[in-house]
Amino acid sequence: MVTGNGEAGNKYNRNDDVKAGSESRAPVGRRRFLQAAGAGTAVALAGCSGGGGGDDGPVTLGAAYILSGFASLYGEEAERGIEFAQSEINDNGGIDGREVEVLTRDTEASGDTAIQQIRSLVQEDNVDGLFGLDSSGVAQAVAPQISQLQIPFMITHAATPFVTSPQGEHEDSVGNEYVFRDSNSLAQDIYGAARVAEELDATEWATIGPDYAFGYETWDYFQAYCDGLGVDAEFTAEQFPALATSDYTPFISSILDADPDAVLTPLWGADLTTFVGQAEDAGWFDQIDHTLFSVGMGTDLPSDGSPLPEGEYASTRYDPFVPDTETNNSFREAYYEEYGTLPTYNAEGAYRALHLYKEAIESAGGTDPSALVDEFTGMEHSGPVGEYQFSETNQATVASIWGTVTYDDEWGSNVLDPVDRYDAGPDVLSEALGDSDLPTGI
Amino acid sequence: MSLSSLVPLIGISDVVIGLSLGSRLFLIAVGLSLIFGVLGVLNFAHGGFYMLGAYVTLAVVSNVVDNFWVAAVVGALAVGVVGAAIEFSAIRRLYERADSDLDQLIVTFGFVLVIHETVRFVWGSGSYSIDPPDVFNFSVTFGGSTFNAYRLALIGLAVAVLVGLWLFITRTYFGSLVRGTSSDREMAAMLGVDVPRLYTGVFFLGSVLAGLGGALSAPLQSTSPALGDQVIIDAFIVVVIGGLGSMSGAFVGAMLIGMMQSLGPQFISAGSIAIPFLAMVIVLLIRPEGLFGGIGE
Repeated sequence: MVTGNGEAGNKYNRNDDVKAGSESRAPVGRRRFLQAAGAGTAVALAGCSGGGGGDDGPVTLGAAYILSGFASLYGEEAERGIEFAQSEINDNGGIDGREVEVLTRDTEASGDTAIQQIRSLVQEDNVDGLFGLDSSGVAQAVAPQISQLQIPFMITHAATPFVTSPQGEHEDSVGNEYVFRDSNSLAQDIYGAARVAEELDATEWATIGPDYAFGYETWDYFQAYCDGLGVDAEFTAEQFPALATSDYTPFISSILDADPDAVLTPLWGADLTTFVGQAEDAGWFDQIDHTLFSVGMGTDLPSDGSPLPEGEYASTRYDPFVPDTETNNSFREAYYEEYGTLPTYNAEGAYRALHLYKEAIESAGGTDPSALVDEFTGMEHSGPVGEYQFSETNQATVASIWGTVTYDDEWGSNVLDPVDRYDAGPDVLSEALGDSDLPTGI
Repeated sequence: MSLSSLVPLIGISDVVIGLSLGSRLFLIAVGLSLIFGVLGVLNFAHGGFYMLGAYVTLAVVSNVVDNFWVAAVVGALAVGVVGAAIEFSAIRRLYERADSDLDQLIVTFGFVLVIHETVRFVWGSGSYSIDPPDVFNFSVTFGGSTFNAYRLALIGLAVAVLVGLWLFITRTYFGSLVRGTSSDREMAAMLGVDVPRLYTGVFFLGSVLAGLGGALSAPLQSTSPALGDQVIIDAFIVVVIGGLGSMSGAFVGAMLIGMMQSLGPQFISAGSIAIPFLAMVIVLLIRPEGLFGGIGE
């Protein structure tokens, strides 16, 4: 059997929005220069007060996701969420009567590329606001740039707590007033993992995670929470293979030799698919009692029918069945009808970002960036994920969601059943982190 | 942690995994070494050939014929044809140039990009995987650890390729032409050897080996456009350690690197990827011609 998560071919060039050509230059007299400068200043002032596109044209938002490489499915899922929210908003009167447009760019999972794309969205396309990001490493690189560009950025997936930890709180903290996150952070997610660990009959723990900040932060937070919550756990083995490793076997073998009771793994994207297949071949799921997948319900695995083994634990940033509210249920049904799959958290995070912008722009009466930042700050909102509020550090107070992987015939997909939602607000995280110097990011 | 407490951690499966990683590296490195030994070309595109072999095999298995072995042969030959076409159309024009080495590097690197982007265009940038052929698709449990039987098959195939190549080079007429031309190209030409055709033939053979490496490794790894970039670096290390142009050197070098890749994670949790580089530096310092040094051996 051949399995794949390849995207269709010609999808790479997303920069197909038309750019204005440079005008031909004639010698400029002093008077003409002053006139032009005056007009330019007037336009700039109008821009400041009324937003990039004026008050009648469409609201233009810029999005940045991974659309190629090992995690391209995340970007594709986000694009679905965007498309879904966009038609929902535009079919119902738009934002204050204005259509919403979204320009989506590929970060290629690289901080440098993301920064270039975001600068181009702001400086060439004059977007009114930004959202997206799939990788902690990318988010860490982008956050300081956002503060320079002075435009709001709603992160919808990248999980590092340091982008919602105010600069100065910790040496890695890069949080600032312009950066928000509507999805849960690694600090919230891994709190749930420690709560799961509390209940499991497992004392020896190991990890296998990607060799960059996300892999290490996951393990650091897990150990800190276990310590803070008094979980009887020893941390016996750790492996950090490079991103996009094609053969995990030596790393798997090393963990199996250490023979831990349970493993927490934040591998994600196609890496997770590769890992699961090779782990099965090596007898991993027979030998290791419990495997906790912190990015397990990401995108590819639940939707392609060759998913995580049933009975293991996984977390998600959004669950299509919980909370059992009218909003969530109707979102799930309508999304399923449109795309034939359950909405993943990346779709939901992107979907909600558009609705957050709609609410903020309508409430502010325009797209002035600082007014939008004021609106987002402390905003209370609800969506499919449930009710939440933006904390002092601009992090949404969404729950940590962990459950048991169970295949559901009705939806043709893995779901979490039973599933637990752990309140992961500022006080809870702060207490659970105990003496650790890691920031709560909320 | 003392050495004695570390030793028991190394199980049979670690050795099997190491040798299977080494086998994969041998298949790519031996073609690289052959092409360098005879043509003097450092073929950067060799990793791309390896990747292409894996993709063609996957495509044939899923769309044309549901037989892995047939698909692997088709994959290897298809890559051979691509390699020969590249040699014939581009690399051949560079042999006589004054700065030939640099030009060859740049041209073959250009083909790295062409192959990479072509694969992305045709198959997308996601990753694919494939099950091992049914006959070897079962788990072997040995000494408490488990591995797929196909790993043993891959090791056997690599040894078979080594023996076959050795017989081919030492016992056949074509082999003697190859050996003669690699030691003195001008003399061979004067004695009537059609050197350009021989070069294309050797490039074809080297490319087939790269394609075969990719094809046979496909069941043990995920195949994505990044595959070629990863493997070419390891292959260069193998060739430098083993000795440029040496087949037995490529085999021993590949097995050494394979074992380092397998056992490295036992000792350090991150960055074990650097161990082969360290080994290369040591070999270059102590024995710059490589363990089995000597072009043309």
